[in-house]
Amino acid sequence: MRRAVVGLVAGLAVAGGAPAAWAVARPPSSAGVPVTQALGSPVGDVLLRPVLAPQPPAGVLPPVTVRDAAPAAVPDPAAAPVAVSVPGSGVTAAVDPVGVTGDGLMELPADVDRVGWYRFGPVPGQPGSAVLAGHVDGVEQGLGPLAALRSVEPGQTVEVTDAAGTVTRWRVVSRELVEKQALPLAALFARNGDPRLVLLTCGGPFLPELGSYRDNVVVVAVPA
Amino acid sequence: MTRSRSLALAAGATGAFAVVLAAGPAAAADTASVSVLHGVPGVTVDVYANGEELLSDFAPGTLTDPVSLPAGSYDLAIYPAGSDPASTQPAASATGVQVPAGANATVVAHLTEGGTPTLTPFVNDVTPVPAGQARVTVRHAAAAPAVDVRAGGQVVAPGLTNPNEATLTVPAGTISADVVLAGTETVAIGPADLPLAEGTATAVYAWGSSEAGYQLAVQELGNASSAPGGVPAGSAGLADDAGLPMSVLAVSALGLTGAAVAGRRLVLGRR
Repeated sequence: MRRAVVGLVAGLAVAGGAPAAWAVARPPSSAGVPVTQALGSPVGDVLLRPVLAPQPPAGVLPPVTVRDAAPAAVPDPAAAPVAVSVPGSGVTAAVDPVGVTGDGLMELPADVDRVGWYRFGPVPGQPGSAVLAGHVDGVEQGLGPLAALRSVEPGQTVEVTDAAGTVTRWRVVSRELVEKQALPLAALFARNGDPRLVLLTCGGPFLPELGSYRDNVVVVAVPA
Repeated sequence: MTRSRSLALAAGATGAFAVVLAAGPAAAADTASVSVLHGVPGVTVDVYANGEELLSDFAPGTLTDPVSLPAGSYDLAIYPAGSDPASTQPAASATGVQVPAGANATVVAHLTEGGTPTLTPFVNDVTPVPAGQARVTVRHAAAAPAVDVRAGGQVVAPGLTNPNEATLTVPAGTISADVVLAGTETVAIGPADLPLAEGTATAVYAWGSSEAGYQLAVQELGNASSAPGGVPAGSAGLADDAGLPMSVLAVSALGLTGAAVAGRRLVLGRR
């Protein structure tokens, strides 16, 4: 009789306690400063060469610089990133350069174990926002390493290795679940401003009718 | 492909037409961004704006960086380098060029089809292009008849005449461009490799004359980039955040089963 009472109480405790413990132990959907704040204020339409001098006093023409107009070869691009990891989080992946899909979305490696670097944006460390993104999962492949991005905390270090073997370190300042419709794309993919590292994957509720997630997990890091 | 006529302009010292440059969308308060390209072969010049020297010893085939000029009306003129504008006829001039606030323009000193020096202002399109694309505007500023501009051997701008332009938005990358006499295979310029970086707007000028030779000039007009439309990064629902994970549900169900068994014993034991 007493054993039965104990069993009943214990059973109910487990039945209710397991979801409660899960909810408590699970990291909140966002941490750190908001993504938009971490990315800095939006930067307007700025010329590639910031040569627009302040307006000169009336009657005085500004100084003029002159360059050769002959077609020139492009300078060698900076070394592209080849690997990214967040030590202690489970996030670790090889990085491939990617562009855009036919319908104008960011292209991602099909392999959930690999992460794409948006090659039209800056290399990590150059002015603007360097974007690394990958699939959180795949129907055939299961979860990828970026599933752990959901639990990365502000203050954690991100390490990016480039093709020359140089490792740059970044400090996470923001993690947020952002609805895809509300993603601040211009700021996330900014070509100028202070150097930022943006890590992206999918998250939030899965919408089976669309075969996709409602949200993006957005992590923003600054040079450590 | 879109084609637009450049703004026709006064040629030579006698012309005095008002030219209005269209204002760009991202207008700076009350300044305009103006560059000058020198495409008259064989003569180094001084450039004057409203009677004041803007730059000196400006060599053919060179280009100024964009200059921020107060909006307003400008009388522009080029003189042979070192000459006194008070006593010298300008090599070319343009009177009453209206430069509205926010305009982005390039004033090109070049030869007409007939070989006379002239100044032509072109309005630069730096509006955003779709992610992955680049914009290239080709401008005919050479003493030559109509030409076809080709990329990779394909005609992309047929029948372009001096002083007009054609604009294309193309996937980013390096294109091999050449210029042929319209409707022929006679190459006048090139081929030259033109790197068109993603999200940029570039102007390419054909300039020169048959005596001095024809050349290309390249001007990077600015940042026309835009972000991709989104990041589709998952398809299986394994990281679904809406409900309890299966593992937690299983533990919970196990607890319920245990409770049910115990409860049944309790009831049976009371009987």
